[in-house]
Amino acid sequence: MSTALHWMSAGEIAQAYAAKTLSPVELVTALLARIEALEPKLHAFIRLDAEGALMAAKAAEAEIAAGRPRGPLHGVPVGIKDIIDVAGLPTTGHSKILIDNMATADSVVTGRLRQAGAIIMGKLSTHEFAIGGPSFDLPWPAARNPWNPDHHPGGSSSGSGAGVAGGFFPLALGTDTGGSVRNPASACGIVGLKPTYGLVSRRGVFPLSFTLDHVGPMTRTVADNALLLDAIAGYDPADPGSNATPARNFGALLDRGVRDLRIGFVRHFHEQDLPAHPEVAANLEDVARVLQAEGAQISTVSMPDLNEFAGINRVILCSEAWSIHGPWLRERPGDYGQLARRRLLPGAFMTAGDYVGAQRRRLEMIAAVEDLLKSYDVLMCASSMDPSSRIEDAAETARTYSRQARTPFNVTGHPAVAMMSGLASTGLPTSVQFVGRYFDEATVLRVASAYERATGWHKKKPPIA
Amino acid sequence: MDPIIVALAKAAGLEKALAEFPEDVAAAAAQALNNAGAVRYPTNPAAEPWPPMRAGIGL
Repeated sequence: MSTALHWMSAGEIAQAYAAKTLSPVELVTALLARIEALEPKLHAFIRLDAEGALMAAKAAEAEIAAGRPRGPLHGVPVGIKDIIDVAGLPTTGHSKILIDNMATADSVVTGRLRQAGAIIMGKLSTHEFAIGGPSFDLPWPAARNPWNPDHHPGGSSSGSGAGVAGGFFPLALGTDTGGSVRNPASACGIVGLKPTYGLVSRRGVFPLSFTLDHVGPMTRTVADNALLLDAIAGYDPADPGSNATPARNFGALLDRGVRDLRIGFVRHFHEQDLPAHPEVAANLEDVARVLQAEGAQISTVSMPDLNEFAGINRVILCSEAWSIHGPWLRERPGDYGQLARRRLLPGAFMTAGDYVGAQRRRLEMIAAVEDLLKSYDVLMCASSMDPSSRIEDAAETARTYSRQARTPFNVTGHPAVAMMSGLASTGLPTSVQFVGRYFDEATVLRVASAYERATGWHKKKPPIA
Repeated sequence: MDPIIVALAKAAGLEKALAEFPEDVAAAAAQALNNAGAVRYPTNPAAEPWPPMRAGIGL
């Protein structure tokens, strides 16, 4: 076999199962050995479920051997961020507050993955309640970046990013309220998609901000991202934000290339609004050159100021999160880590007028982006303005963490994918983001796939053993 | 700490946090108040919030 088991994509795994050159038990056993060796460096897991994973692998093996394959994710390992319920495992949110919170039922996305035959490896590190991190005053350690464990893997879906990039599993679920799927994807050099708001059910996912929360796929390849999205997307009548869209094949356009696609490059995000690290900016220009060489029409376009998007996101997020965490913050403030406490408490000081005003401005921002997407098939912009900081450098992490261009698309709900755009001189990944029309994830992934094919960045692996 | 912040924190029921983590409460209040200029609130009185009320949808 040409690819080491731990670097195989879901697509390659399915092919190997079909060819009978690999079995689910063999794969899971190999991954568990890798996890045992490297988890002390990466801390991707809150709870590894080795026993459950092996049982699921044996069941998948038996079904596949009996000629009853369920589909492309059958027998494929997946990690789940620890704010997403998996029946029989605790959902802690990486917090002392929920340390004994046993999930009695699967979230909708977990249920869909089980139905597809995926193997759940366990629950993954997160910033506390998907907002406070990286923290060193919590019951579990913070996840680390496989490209350099002295650095932050991004967050809040930090274990998802570290585990996918570190070869613990090919697929993971993350959540994204202000960029928390796309940040670790950017820091860890993988592919992270925030789908259109309403495409993926949030039922059984611990909320942070009801109108900004999304569940999204995190993978090493664009094709795997489409496969994982195929499995988890779909209408859920019990999620009030769910949208009744027809079932789609999100990978249908992956091989089409970008010839004649109109791509609007939002340069002012990283040139004026939040000037990016020079290597990040240079790599973004390289992305534009590559896509142009592939036949896309690249034009510079303008959106509202990035800093205002961030302000709207902050007011809405803090207000909605306060309505969730207020009771615990009143009674058990000491059971939060300091970062989460500081990031959640501002909601206590925001007014109803602040919140409604931000929601009213939100509609104007949505209209501006919608207007732009009438003339362009896809938008392209920065994701993180800097390579990831050293994890124990709190000041640098605080400085760089908010320097990003992801919040606009939580505010507007448009689909956005972040992926690797190159390596900085420090050996850490840089990133780019592609954004599309509502429910047009297929075109967003089409552009991402063309870029991936042209550059081969996905073949570059972290130097971790 | 600014007595107005203390009063607002008490009104929000944060007596315990005020006693145990006064610096965190002060930092949170400062962050919230600094948001005042971050958003250009609509001047059109008819500008609606998002998401809108949609009777019968999402129930």
